[in-house]
Amino acid sequence: MKLVKQLFKRWEFILLILLVLEFVVFGAANPAKFLRPASILSSITNYISICIIALFVTFVMITGGIDIQASSIIGLTSIIIGVSWSDGGLNIWVSVLLAILAAALCGALSGFFIAYCGVQPMVVTLGGSFLYSGLGLLISGMSKTPAYQGISGFPSKTETGAFVGFRFLGKGMLFGFLPTQIFIYIVLIILCSVLLHMTKYGRKIFLIGVNPQAAEYSGINTRLVIMSTYILTGIGAAISGILLTSNVDSAKSDLGATFTLSIITAVVLGGTLSTGGKGSIIGTALASIIICILRYGLPLCFGVSSQNLDLPVGVILIIIVVGRALAESGKLYRFFMPKKKTS
Amino acid sequence: MSKIKNILQVRWMSSLLFLIALIILTGLINSDFLTYDNIVACFNASVVFTLLAVGISFVIMTGEIDVSIGSTMGLMAAISGLIAQEKGSPVKMLILAVVIGTVVGIINGLGVAYFGVPSLIFTLGTCGVIRGLVYIVSQGKTVENFAGDFTGYGTQVCFASITWYYAIVFVIAIIAHLLLTRTRRGKYFIAVGDNPGGANLVGISVFWTKMAAYVLSGVFAGISGVAFASKYGQITISAGNGYEMSAIAACVLGGISLSGGLGNIAGAAIGAIIMSSVTRMLVFIGLPSTYDDAITGIMLITIVVIDALAQRSAIENARRKRLLMRTALTKADTDAKGGAEV
Repeated sequence: MKLVKQLFKRWEFILLILLVLEFVVFGAANPAKFLRPASILSSITNYISICIIALFVTFVMITGGIDIQASSIIGLTSIIIGVSWSDGGLNIWVSVLLAILAAALCGALSGFFIAYCGVQPMVVTLGGSFLYSGLGLLISGMSKTPAYQGISGFPSKTETGAFVGFRFLGKGMLFGFLPTQIFIYIVLIILCSVLLHMTKYGRKIFLIGVNPQAAEYSGINTRLVIMSTYILTGIGAAISGILLTSNVDSAKSDLGATFTLSIITAVVLGGTLSTGGKGSIIGTALASIIICILRYGLPLCFGVSSQNLDLPVGVILIIIVVGRALAESGKLYRFFMPKKKTS
Repeated sequence: MSKIKNILQVRWMSSLLFLIALIILTGLINSDFLTYDNIVACFNASVVFTLLAVGISFVIMTGEIDVSIGSTMGLMAAISGLIAQEKGSPVKMLILAVVIGTVVGIINGLGVAYFGVPSLIFTLGTCGVIRGLVYIVSQGKTVENFAGDFTGYGTQVCFASITWYYAIVFVIAIIAHLLLTRTRRGKYFIAVGDNPGGANLVGISVFWTKMAAYVLSGVFAGISGVAFASKYGQITISAGNGYEMSAIAACVLGGISLSGGLGNIAGAAIGAIIMSSVTRMLVFIGLPSTYDDAITGIMLITIVVIDALAQRSAIENARRKRLLMRTALTKADTDAKGGAEV
């Protein structure tokens, strides 16, 4: 009994129940179409960028910051890969490395202003989102291909239809059933969990979120740690930019431009406090998957038009966050159990 | 001299100086820009942004944020477009704008101020819901082909090539500015943003102040939706996407602190003009409009970094002064004691 009570206090457990609930409801409504592993997996690959970036934004939000520039870095990485490969004539893997480096630099720049100049994270990353998407546009202007068309023809597809090389990242299958993207996502989840929950670095991040001053006085280089979280987000955005480019076979500067709010939704739904100091990678991952399945299941089982998914997702987000706020402030408890004296 | 210093310390003054500097800089590169009509055209183009920025600055002033205004604007633009297709009167649109803005504001206010959900997250949720409503209202289609002269209102000139729209918005912005800085109730917003606990202790209702801020923000977003529809005459289902970020950027450019309690409406209005005139200035400088976002971003980051550094050096100066005073006092103290002993 005590164990059950403790389990219910863990937000991740409630998320797990929600996920199971989704499977039950959608599965009951339309078992033939919904319960196909291949389609469920592909529903996650549709939003893989949001899932991946949300993992890294969790780090930033635990330190008490916020990052709304990550989605513009996706487009920047994509166009850097495209231009340096197609117009610059570089090896595709060199351009991938170049893109990751550029994204890390972008993150470092914003992180520097936030950590060392003490500017509010929201403002800097807002400016960053304008700046980096603008840079993406500028770079796309250097290409011979018109910007609206997107650079395509990445290597490579064999004659049998199998994807090798760069395109294997976004389109390939491992062991015949597991999309490479999902495999990379799982690896990233494990890496991030270890980094956040099992290393000294992770403990420092939590301490900075709880009390930055105390962290500073206990000898942690808070500025460097805060800056490093933004670099991590930049790298995360680069990874999803690479996967997205490889998946759609098109390098454009506006890829992922509309993801910002979905990323924050996933992180917050995963139980990370926006004021910092609390959160977990597993929570974020579960929340991302819940949103993916929701977006996949609603049109399939209840005939919601796929254009109009913002409405139900928004309603569910509001219900969950309000319910959580009520539960934590005790208003819900008092509503159901009025005037119970504990003394 | 001290008067000039005082004027410079008014926060919106520095944004005004920045705007003037931008105009002069553009003029230096291409003197064709420095005509009355060109500069006024920058003002006229900023109607939608100014309305959004004025509305959201109430919310930012209380230390919260509202990212649902872009969707609210899109919703109201779609609705007024549908009304315009049937030759409905603009009065009907404005009334609907106020009603819808109020409803959105009340929902946001309840979520943030009553339930205590972090404002970014709650308004994210309402943002999604309202965006969904836009799809439902417009049935997933672009609203266009308005009947009557609804789209003609935007270009009608009031006086000296200033359009009626900008004249009205200008008056609204001034009224809002005076309300916020000169009246008792208006100062509540700043007080709540500066120190919610303290405001509560002196008898200001934090709940009602935040509620009022969200309602004002919603209403302004609704009205800007009507202006948007009349100005562009074509409303896609994603109209207003990202406008919330531009409005926040305008507020920041205008000297409003995102942690609340600092800044004023005049600054936000000037920030909105800066935001919307960058594109025009780029044309005159001779750069393609692809530079737009990059330059906006650089401007935003530069301003906030300079502001943060200036604030920090001011705090350090004050601390150093206090320290000097204290050492001087203790020195005088020991000197006096030493003198007494001898």
